[in-house]
Amino acid sequence: MSLALPELREARLDNGATVIVAPRPGVPLAAARLFVRAGSGLDPPGRFGLAHLVSTVARRGAGRRSGAGIDALVESLGADLGGDAEEDATVYALTAPAELLERLLGVLVDVVASPTFPAPEFDRLRRRELASLARDSDEPATLAERAVFTAAYGDHPYGHPVEGRTRDLTRLRRADVRAFHERWYLPAISTLVVVGPVDAGAVMDLARDRLERWRAAGEPPPEIARAERGPRRVVIVDKPDVTQTQIRIAGTALPRSSPDYFPAVVANAVLGGGFTSRLVEAIRVNRGLSYGVRTRFAMSRSAGLFLFSSFTKNETAGELVEVAFEEMGRFCEEGATAQEVTRATNYLAGLFPLALETHDQWADRLCDARICGYGLEEVQEYRERVRAVGPDEIRDVARRHLPLAGGVVLAVGPAKRVAPQLERFGKPQVLSARSVL
Amino acid sequence: MPGAADPPIIDLERVVARTLPNGLRVRVYPDRLVPAVSYYSFFRVGSRNERPGLTGISHLFEHMMFNGSARYGPKEFDRVLEACGGTSNAYTSNDVTAYYDDFASEAFDTVVDLESDRMRSLRLTDETLEQERAVVKEERRLRTDNSTFGLIEEQLETLVFQAHPYRWPIIGWMEDIDRIRREDCQSYFRTYYAPTNAAVYVAGDVDPDLALRRIEDAYGDIPAGPAVPAVASGEPEQRGERRAVVHYPAEAAALIVGFRGPPASDGDAAVLDVLQACLAVGEGSRLRRRLVQEEVAVSASVAWAWRIDPGVFMLLLELAPGANRQRAEDELFRELGRVASRGVSAKEVERARRLLRSSVLQEFSTRNGVAHALGQAEALLGDWREVGKALPRYEGVSAEDVQRVAARFLAPTQRNVVWLDPRAAP
Repeated sequence: MSLALPELREARLDNGATVIVAPRPGVPLAAARLFVRAGSGLDPPGRFGLAHLVSTVARRGAGRRSGAGIDALVESLGADLGGDAEEDATVYALTAPAELLERLLGVLVDVVASPTFPAPEFDRLRRRELASLARDSDEPATLAERAVFTAAYGDHPYGHPVEGRTRDLTRLRRADVRAFHERWYLPAISTLVVVGPVDAGAVMDLARDRLERWRAAGEPPPEIARAERGPRRVVIVDKPDVTQTQIRIAGTALPRSSPDYFPAVVANAVLGGGFTSRLVEAIRVNRGLSYGVRTRFAMSRSAGLFLFSSFTKNETAGELVEVAFEEMGRFCEEGATAQEVTRATNYLAGLFPLALETHDQWADRLCDARICGYGLEEVQEYRERVRAVGPDEIRDVARRHLPLAGGVVLAVGPAKRVAPQLERFGKPQVLSARSVL
Repeated sequence: MPGAADPPIIDLERVVARTLPNGLRVRVYPDRLVPAVSYYSFFRVGSRNERPGLTGISHLFEHMMFNGSARYGPKEFDRVLEACGGTSNAYTSNDVTAYYDDFASEAFDTVVDLESDRMRSLRLTDETLEQERAVVKEERRLRTDNSTFGLIEEQLETLVFQAHPYRWPIIGWMEDIDRIRREDCQSYFRTYYAPTNAAVYVAGDVDPDLALRRIEDAYGDIPAGPAVPAVASGEPEQRGERRAVVHYPAEAAALIVGFRGPPASDGDAAVLDVLQACLAVGEGSRLRRRLVQEEVAVSASVAWAWRIDPGVFMLLLELAPGANRQRAEDELFRELGRVASRGVSAKEVERARRLLRSSVLQEFSTRNGVAHALGQAEALLGDWREVGKALPRYEGVSAEDVQRVAARFLAPTQRNVVWLDPRAAP
């Protein structure tokens, strides 16, 4: 059975901005998103974290309103508004009582189109970001996530944390924020999406009225290059006092728009998604090595990673990595059984409607499709396309995209105890927690 | 303006409710918008029902529920469920243990079979117990032993509660996790997992009468259980501030403060929801403005979860490295004192009500959220129909109520204060 899409109304405004309205029955909250296809992938070298800082400071003053004024208006109406940079875009999200959307859509547009970046707010938020980064050092899982993207992507534009690093943030000035906004926040690469129990015609008129006044022009951002997988690295981020080591295994894999997408989704479900995957069985069920084991393909517009994540007591860090590689190796060698493929495809197909249950989920999906460049027929055909994946494609995709050779093995734990256990996977390079922040 | 003219956010007239002769309560909420179903099994047992020496058994037992029953061997539960388009998980709280399955509508009969089989005939073996014990110890290392928040939160509960079972952590003390035996699990299962102590909530794409019939057929022959032992829920009066320091090598300090609140069944529980929104929901809330925007703290948040017995109203401040701790504490207490002595404005209450309305709407926007809310209402308030009062409850709250509960529950003598000191112990 195909999944029904909401009826979409789409318009391209004179300034080049796109508007998509998707009326949908359900709870009386409307989900609005306004995204600009400019994200952390455009952060200039040495100025990492810039797109993120722009998204944070933009909320603190726009049009004629101060940050406090925006807070007061948005929150007094029971709504929520905030911006978030990703690799390929910056997405501003507004969730508001549907009947009050009219009063709030203008604020969303102002925050994106005409932020004032007040100097005191810029200074304060930069200090806060720096403090948050320092605090991240106390969260082993956060450290691991930050470090693994850098270790696996290297110098690629996706290779720095979206939030930037201490040394970059220290260097950033308000002028950088203004310049990034001026250069990249263009209506021609922006899309407004509204989903919920709304009158499509009325919302379209409203969107046109608020958005069309936004005038800015410039060249669209260049496409970001594909990523190459480098030789194997073993990296340990030293946390001398923890009793549990966080483990990641990663390597560059496929971008979101790849024709391998569906085989990769199914392969991942068999190998490390869900509760019955091979890796969960080997690591958690059969050996009790961890509470959590998971793999995923983290896919952006131009590149992506295969990522294995788990954690275990320090004594068994090496054993866990060993088991993970053993299982991944066997998977590439033998592929999946027919029974596993059926189970995984039924699992994915059965649960898919629950991934598109709410207005917010639909809004995010519509944005993601535009940001990463895939068609919505994929949503409609999701279940058929998942069910069409066979064992041969799974093995093929595993062989090409799992980091059996190259890639990175990363541990966050006490280097003294963990390094000897990881030597068999490559010579460990030990980093301090501060150096990845 | 939201209020009296609002249509009800959830149509409880649709609910088909029945109690089987063995005591199992079943409530079905049909909603056919999406071809999927959420199925919750609630057991009225949590860390509240434990005793020292066996803390953590509720949570460890929750893990055991996925390890085989009479007709589905070890590892089969999730395999069978995933093969028909479903997923499951569970959580243990102080008061309840809740299991859920989210699945494609066609899988309904299979889910009923899986769930009733484990309630009827769970198999507990030494082998699976050892395996889950190891997994749970890793979970404890993750969430508590290597987490600054986990460490201070655990310490806080031992201050707020001197006698009540809320004193110990849901996951249990490490030594107790090591001590739990198979026989303990067996007796725990017989006592707390009988239909008498359980309820099933279904929300989603089902025919309610048909669903009810299937559930009756599948669960009807499970024998009713024994009476559940009473909980020693007393707690001596707190006669002054209590303090503790947790030393742990970290980049920056954190402060967690807890006050014993009312039980869920007390009308003031909803007033504290409103106070929470005034204090720490949104950038314009009091603590965000006074503490975060003034750069006294990096973040300020409040956690207030309703519990059967009086629970904890918890405030958390995360500081920047090297920040002035005394100032953070003083400013926090000054703000709480200000609310107690001068109250909040009617505008702040209205803002809080609207924010709460949106969060209730969010909760009801998924089948899982609806099924869970029905179960939670029945477990904490004694009646699933309480779900329908989620919004009216807040409509009645006034600025005077907020001031009154702040003065009553957040008084200086009732404080429990834990600092994370980011240096290793001296």
